[in-house]
Parts: sequence; C-alpha cells; structure tokens
Amino acid sequence: MRKSMKKLLALGMSAAMAVSALAACGNNSSTDNKTASTGKDTSTTQSSNDSSGEKVLKFGVQMYSDGLIDPASQTNEAWNYMRFGIGESLFKFNDNMEVEPWLADSYEVSEDHKTWTIKLKDGIKFSDGCEMTASKVKASLDRLKEEGPKGSSTPEKYLEYEAEITADDDANTITIVTQKAYVDLTGNLANPVMAIVDVDDTKDFSNETIGTGPYKVESFKDQVGYTMVANENYREEVPYDKVEILFMGDASAKAMALKSGQIDLAENITNVSDIKDFQDNDDFTVDIASGVRTGFSWMNQNGVLKNETLRKAILMAIDYDTICESNAIGGLYTAGFSVLPSTLSYGYDKLKNPYAYDVDAAKKLLDDAKIVDTDGDGIRELDGENINLKYVSYENRLLNDFSDAHAQYLAEIGIGVTADYGSSDDQWSKLVAGEYDLNNNNWTTVGTGDPTEYLANWYSKSEADYCGYKNDEYDKLYEELLAEFDADKRAEIIQKLQQVLVDDAVAVIDGYYNSSMIYSKNVGYAHIHTADYYWLSTEITPAK
Amino acid sequence: MKKNFFLKNISFTIFSVLALLIILAAVFAPLITHGIDPLNGSLKDSIIAPNAEHIFGTDKMGRDIFARVIYGARTSLVSAFAVVFIVFIVGMILGVVAGYFGGIVDAIIMRIADMMIAFPGLVLALAVAGIMGASIKNAVLAISIVTWPKYARLARSLVMKVRNMDYVNAAIVTGSKTLHMLVKYMVPNVLPTLIITAATDIGSMMLEIAALSFLGFGAVAPTPEWGLMLSEGRAYMQSAPWLMVYPGLAIFITVVVFNMLGDGLRDILDPREND
Repeated sequence: MRKSMKKLLALGMSAAMAVSALAACGNNSSTDNKTASTGKDTSTTQSSNDSSGEKVLKFGVQMYSDGLIDPASQTNEAWNYMRFGIGESLFKFNDNMEVEPWLADSYEVSEDHKTWTIKLKDGIKFSDGCEMTASKVKASLDRLKEEGPKGSSTPEKYLEYEAEITADDDANTITIVTQKAYVDLTGNLANPVMAIVDVDDTKDFSNETIGTGPYKVESFKDQVGYTMVANENYREEVPYDKVEILFMGDASAKAMALKSGQIDLAENITNVSDIKDFQDNDDFTVDIASGVRTGFSWMNQNGVLKNETLRKAILMAIDYDTICESNAIGGLYTAGFSVLPSTLSYGYDKLKNPYAYDVDAAKKLLDDAKIVDTDGDGIRELDGENINLKYVSYENRLLNDFSDAHAQYLAEIGIGVTADYGSSDDQWSKLVAGEYDLNNNNWTTVGTGDPTEYLANWYSKSEADYCGYKNDEYDKLYEELLAEFDADKRAEIIQKLQQVLVDDAVAVIDGYYNSSMIYSKNVGYAHIHTADYYWLSTEITPAK
Repeated sequence: MKKNFFLKNISFTIFSVLALLIILAAVFAPLITHGIDPLNGSLKDSIIAPNAEHIFGTDKMGRDIFARVIYGARTSLVSAFAVVFIVFIVGMILGVVAGYFGGIVDAIIMRIADMMIAFPGLVLALAVAGIMGASIKNAVLAISIVTWPKYARLARSLVMKVRNMDYVNAAIVTGSKTLHMLVKYMVPNVLPTLIITAATDIGSMMLEIAALSFLGFGAVAPTPEWGLMLSEGRAYMQSAPWLMVYPGLAIFITVVVFNMLGDGLRDILDPREND
C-alpha cells in the first residue's frame, strides 16, 4: 500500500516537473526539445569522460558567505555567482575600469539620464537552454526589488526600487525608467549584485542559481566546494569540461595546495613570501593585476592630528616606495600618494605631491613649528604633551605590516606611536567612534566604475566623513561632482578633489592593492582582472 | 663545606649558572648586541637570511633578530618574575589567612579561588586580557588573576596541618598576637613549599606570557617579545624560518633552564627527597 503510494507520488512529481520544465522556456516548442536532448547529452558525456580525456581545472578559492550564490541575498554571494563563472551581468568593467557591454549589446540614455534603453545581445541562453529574453532580464532585475530588502546585498544602491522596467521581447530591449537621474547606470548594472539569473527555472537560489555564464553547478558540498561543468549552451567554446572549486582556509593553505598539485589555480595568495617563492619557481606563473583598492590610514582631525604641520611632517617622514618594494610587502601594493589608484584615469599623473619622502625636511618642518623634544626622551611634544599617536589597524591585506612600518619611520622623526591592532570589527567601530589618531584600512575605490561614493569619505556633510575633515573648497567641488553628468568634466573635478586632499595631508596612503592569480603548468593561461568580480572565465584555458 | 654543597647538587649548580647567564644577557643586552637598536630597522633590509652582519637574520621591518631575541629576554624575564612574585605574595597571604582563621573568611576566599580554578586557566587569562586590552602589563595581571588560587590552596593546606598542633595552641594561650602568630608560626611553615612551587613555575609562566603575546593579547608591536616575534613570523614559517626559529629556541632554552633550576631547588629544599 505504502509502496504504491510512494510510486504514485514519485510519478506525480516527475510529471509535474516535466510540465514545469515545458512551461519554463515559454511557448517555443523547438527549444523544449533541444533542452531535453542536451540534458541527455550531458549524462552520456559524463560517464564517458571519467575514463579519459576530460579537461578538469581545480581552482582553490577563499570561501566567502559559505559559498552561496544568490546575488539578491548577500554581496559576497553575488560576487561568488560572478566569480565562479556561473552568472554574468548586462555590463562589465575592462581592466581600465571602463564599462563595456556584456549581455547587453548597446544602450541609449535620455537627455535627463532617467530613461535607459538597453538592447540585449541576440542568442544568449541560460545554462538550462532557455533563451535569455528581455522578459527574463526584467524578471531578474525585478526579483531584486522583492528579495533585496530581505538580504544584505543592497541592490537599491545600484538601481533604486522605484525604477520601472519594461521588456520588449520582439525588439530584445529593456527600458529602465528611474525617478532620480543616474550619471552612468551601466556601471551600476555591471555590479555582481545586478547579475542576471533565470528566475523562473531556478529551484534553489542558494547553490544552483541558473545563469548565462560559461559554467554551471553540477553539485555543491558544504564547506568543500562546487563541482561545475561546462555550460553547453554557452555562446562560445568553454575550455574546461569540469571545474572543481575548492574552498581553502587561508592563503597558506592555498599556497601549499598549489605546491602539492592538489589545485591548479589559486586566487589572491597574500603571503608575500609565498608569492616570491612562486615567482622564483619556473613551474608556476604569477599574474598580478593593479587593483582598484587603496590602502590608507585615516588621520583623525578631532585629535592631535588637527595640527596640519604635524600631518604634513608625518607624510614626509615615510618612505612609501621602500615599504612597497620591501620583502615584507613585495609587489602586493604599488606606492602612491593620492587616495585614488594611479592606474585609474583620474589624472594621477597631473597631481603634485608637495610631501614626498624627505626625513630632513620633515624634521625641519616640525622644528620650525616649535614642535620639538624638550625633555630629551626622543619624543617631540605638542602643547606640552608627548606626541603619541594611537594607531588602529587589523590583520588583512598586510595592513598591520604597513602600520608597523609607518610607526618605525615616525619614530625616526620623534613621533611616538602606540599600536592598537585588533579585528576588522574593532577597526571599524573605532573609526566610526573616532577613537584613533591613525586608522589603517583598505577600500574599493570604484565599486561601480566611479569614485563618487568613495570620495564622500572627506565630504564634510557626509556621514562617511569619519575623520572630521572639513574643507569648503572640497565640499564645493564635491557638490559640483554630484551635479555633473559629463564624463570629461567629472574626471576633471575628481582630479581637483584629489589634489585638495593631497595638499591638506588628509591620509597616509599605504599604496594600491594588487590582486593575484597563481597557476601551475597544468594551466595554459589565466588572468586576474582589475575589477575583483571576474575569476573563472573562458580566458582560463588548459595547457596544451 | 661550601664546595661540597655545589658538588653535591651538581644539576642545581649548572642550571643556576645558566640562569644567571640568561639574566646577565638581559641586563647587559646593549653590550652584547653592540648597541644595535631592537626597535629600529630599515625596510630596505627586511627579511634577510642570517649572515655575517645579522647573525640571526632580519625580520619583516628589517630589524636585527639577534638584538630582538636578546632584548626579548628582558621582557620575558621581567614579566615572568613579576607574575611569580605577585601570585606568590597574594596566594600566600590569602592562603595563610584562610587557613588560620577558618570559618567564613576561609569560605569566602576559597570559594573565589574555586571559581577561578573551575575555568581553564589560559582561556580565562585570554578573556581578562581581552577585556583590559593588549599590553604586557595586562597580560601579567591576567595570568596572576588565574594563577594565585594554586598558591592560596597550597598555603592554606599547609597552615591547616599545623593550625591545631600543641605548640601553636600553646603560643596562642601564652598571649601571642595574631600578626605574630601568622608571621612567626604560619609563614615559615608555608615558605619552603611555596618557594619550590614558585621556582618551578617560572618556566610555565614565561610560556603563558609568550602564548598571550602570540595570540595578540600580550606584548604590543614593536616590543621585542618572543611570543610576539613567533606570531609575526608565522606567515613566513616555510620561506623565512629564521623569523620563528630563534625566538622559538630562546623560549625553549630559557624555559628548560628555569624548569631544571626549579627541580634542583626542590631537591635541596624538600626534606623528603634528601637522603
């Protein structure tokens, strides 16, 4: 009795699934047939592949957000979805952080920057074989309005919930009408949170989200990783038949796994010594890309560092080039003096740095300002008190090493530093509470292809002005930037903003963080991009 | 006679000489390192393998590891002695008082001690140091807070052993003041055992301080401290092992020497093991 019930149930369920699968790809019956047949194909290739000739990539990655891949839920999930080559978005960033069409073909924008008409590429398919129609794209973007408020990936930062999206399947376009004007919505649409998912056909958004990328999930093992297979519906040839994504505990684990041959490819090994080892070893290739992250220390201007002379002397006392080239940092950072990375096209070359490294000048500056050591303990005094800066920092991307190095250089000119290193949460809460003199951290500067949000860190009317900096000229320029829509003029304003910050000595710049990818002889080519969103792509190919 | 004593206790003699050498090295650190500053390096020289100029190599900040190891002895010795001294005094006073007076005083002191002992020592020390903030002073306090009950219990049990003996009662009956009783009759009974315990504890206290520093709750950069040096060199264990080997060796040697010294002292002071 029970057995027959079960059988009936199973029959019913499979029938229901078949119906839903038929319904999923719309009314085009020929597509349905194709899906069914390709489905069969996969199963046969799999069994034959086990014996020989299958191209497999083993990719060691850091595990973020437990490896989940729902873009609407958490920012890191969105990044996973794109980094693992499962999902793509309408636009993408090239290595100069310029926006390029990806799933989109072209776009038009109205005069008032409120109506964006995006033409989609023809013939794009999801990995389940369904066509990526304009309606599907609309459904994917609309899903963010529904799911976004439940999660923490804040899609409204990129596209307001009030935006009206209409799809025209015949013309293969979507039109987005927004209430506020966007300077460049395409950069926002390039963010992984805005990646396109197949809303109707995805059963499990946590681990089996269906996207348009070159690979699709075959299976997921909690805390271990994903087994991915080539998406046979991809628009180009996919170089690997199978990709094992393996979660690694930390950078040393990745390095050891790579050395022992357990993995073929690893992203962002952050131990300088390990990177050096790989660079010296002919069996491995190290690809380092200048990233868009800036490491910098805030200078709290509500404390002793409100003294501008002191701030300037601090900047002149530190040998940035030597630190970045030292064996301790070696290549993971590129030295620079502006808050925006030198690789971005915001006129770094035209900026002037009045506070380049010069110990003697730094000492003279302090001496002239009567900030001197009167009691002979080696530490200068300001207003009768020893200058002892509280340096908040945390163990990430070599920040503590930078802080140590800065302290060492400052000791040379008679400025005391007390280290206060803790977790990233400590660092953040002390930054917000203003309990620091120097506070070292690492920021993505152009998350949407534009530094406006990041530059609010020094805009005195912004909540993000955590260091109490106020300069009317900066505020005025920043407000101009908010109102300016012309790209060239914006770049000009951003250059001026940078120069104001440099002149006012607002931050100690560690350098610009470089991302890396390291691979063994099993891999022919791999590349890490400036934007940290793209890891697994069709560029990564097996060795011949 | 004197010669005899040292020859008779050969192990004690050897290890006290070695311990003295370690202490001298800490005291005369500037002489031994030829005035090299353990806090000052150049980033140009970071992570250099041991060579003629830097016999132990250099660390991430280009500082001389030999100088840091020698100066590190100061931090380790001073903090370990401080811990032992604090717990010795606090534990002895509380233990003697608890054992001598008994009743409610005993109950209060010993229940507090039991509470401390009921928790894993290092974990509690981590919590205490975490709340107070990282510094070597706080690390010393944290370890003292979790270690004193051991001494208090020992002192209490030793006092209780003699508390009701005839000579003690006789002294009380003849009108000895309480303070006199404690100092003249109770403390001398307690001292030898406590001294032995303290001597054997120096090594383990050193380890605990190094452990706290290693975990980021003790010494703060750039202080030369062995535990902290181990932590700083951890990421370089494979590629630049000298960052960990020398501070590790320093901890190992010092702890062994002070442990053996403690054992030697016990052999001398503990009458049961003397023939």
